[in-house]
Amino acid sequence: MNNGSLATPNLIYGATSSSPMRPPLVIAAVAALAVLGLMLPYLVSSTYYMNLLVRGVILGIGAIGLGFLMQQCGLVMIGVSAFIGLPAYLFAIGLGTLKLTTGASLAFAFASTVAFAFLNGALITRAKPLPFAMLTLALAQLLKSVVLLQPLRDIAGGDDGLPMSFNGSFLGLTQEQFASPAAMWRVVWVSLCGAMLVTWWLAQSKFGVRLRAIKANEERMRFCGFSTYLPRIGAFTFACSVMSLSGLLLALNTGLASPDLLDFATGGNSLPAMLIGGSGTVVGPLLGALTFTWGQDVFGSTGDLELLTGLAVILVLWMCPDGLAGLLRRAAGILKGAR
Amino acid sequence: MELTNGVVMLVISQLMNALALASLLTIVSSGLALIFGLRDVMNLSHGALYMLGAYVGYSVTNILGFWPALVIVPLALGLAGLALEHGVLRPLQRRSHIEVALITFGFALVLTQIIGKIWGKAPMRMDPPIALAGSVDLFGAHYPAYRLFLIAIGLGTCMALAAWLKWTRLGMYTRAASQQPEVAQMMGVNTDRLSQLVVCLGAAFAGLAGVLAGPYLSVDLGMGSAVLVMSLSIVVIGGLGSIWGAIGAAIAYAFVQVLGSVFFPWAALVVPYLLLIGVLVLRPRGFGQGRV
Repeated sequence: MNNGSLATPNLIYGATSSSPMRPPLVIAAVAALAVLGLMLPYLVSSTYYMNLLVRGVILGIGAIGLGFLMQQCGLVMIGVSAFIGLPAYLFAIGLGTLKLTTGASLAFAFASTVAFAFLNGALITRAKPLPFAMLTLALAQLLKSVVLLQPLRDIAGGDDGLPMSFNGSFLGLTQEQFASPAAMWRVVWVSLCGAMLVTWWLAQSKFGVRLRAIKANEERMRFCGFSTYLPRIGAFTFACSVMSLSGLLLALNTGLASPDLLDFATGGNSLPAMLIGGSGTVVGPLLGALTFTWGQDVFGSTGDLELLTGLAVILVLWMCPDGLAGLLRRAAGILKGAR
Repeated sequence: MELTNGVVMLVISQLMNALALASLLTIVSSGLALIFGLRDVMNLSHGALYMLGAYVGYSVTNILGFWPALVIVPLALGLAGLALEHGVLRPLQRRSHIEVALITFGFALVLTQIIGKIWGKAPMRMDPPIALAGSVDLFGAHYPAYRLFLIAIGLGTCMALAAWLKWTRLGMYTRAASQQPEVAQMMGVNTDRLSQLVVCLGAAFAGLAGVLAGPYLSVDLGMGSAVLVMSLSIVVIGGLGSIWGAIGAAIAYAFVQVLGSVFFPWAALVVPYLLLIGVLVLRPRGFGQGRV
């Protein structure tokens, strides 16, 4: 797990000092890419592929949060669906039961999820990585059982889930526009850029170094006088807020909060996506999510989706433990060496 | 008098139901705990192995009958365990344990789909063997004979496992390697050979539980992940790597689940998870003498 990731944070998190390009050039290139990304709907005319891209990026945002937690803390969240489904449900409840406007409901859902993540993190980040993984799984299944409870049917909708009808527009977009890929793309792309930027910045900051140090040797960090508990809660809360961003975007796009979102098997696609892409960089999980969504599209019609997902997870983890992103980096290294 | 009789009968039959579920869960979870103890890897394909046991058991029962299935399937699953040990756990033993666990998760996905392709996606019903088809008079309550048989097998397996662990040399090695793998190795225990045996045994237990589950629950594609979630919780509650803890936790879990569904039907699904979260918050290492 901790194979020198502490010593080489720059190599792992993006190209800065070790890159042959100078930082201002990198920043300019990244900024240009971010702006160019907004123009994508003009390039991709097919609504179908645009929709796939939107779904892929939404999945990717969740996977980025998951990858952050895995890379910085060594914690794998098997029950990622808890923090995808919960904000979607809270958003729907805000719109339905609480009669809030769309914007207020989004804010309510996001704030409550983050608060919930903080409280939860205070409890479960005390556990070691394996019990932690099980606890998140239990949390996801618990939330799913709660929304399926008969007495809560009026609020949570039971098996049918909660269809949403937005109260007014948000960011000047109506519910129809959120459902249309071309308009939704801008929202999704800006969220993605924001999430990647903040995640990258946190990872290379002092906070990230401290997290990796705790991952490498918690006892020693404690002896050195660092708190090891609070940073982990912080990392957990941050990762969960990135995941809930993904959940909210999904809810805006589909207009439905269903129990499937909370189930670890059907709502937890960010986990295989993150594993396929690799958790070592912020780009890896996105790459994995796009590959995963593309694979879902290609293989979904054959009915062998889960079979192939399973095979892909096995192959990628077996052959290249740092995922597709690691594979690409190694390929780039070989090319550079050959030059 | 009528009322108290009714209540007593209800309590007895629910206690027996809890014991029946506990039997199934102890068999599955002790296998999971054994593998974890030796290999340090949470075998996320354990639920799929159990499901494979149930489906193979279904087919063997249709051809040869239930009793041969009860012998053949655990043996077959033992072979599958051998493949798991040599194909996955041993080649990858230097890798991060979380990664290996996730690879076994990939195998669970693949295995589930392959089972779906061979046997179809529809749930299947399995009848108990004729000798156990009826019900038994139990303190005035009619109780299905098959469940009593399940309880007997569950308790019997547990006791056999306990005796093996306590009184045989290999059992002692297993306990030693589960608690202190390095020390056990230093003292000359061949953990590789031991783990081959133990992984086979764990997989065979999963197969046995699968065959037993057939006539008790239905045979369907969701049974693997359902039992996996339950037995993972149990192993974590019991303390990782602790086989005694796993057995105790399985019994506690089954009682909470069954009695919860009687007294708080609306919360039956929630109670076990609350138990898991509660136990781990109060005792992060679980009940047993887990080492993780």
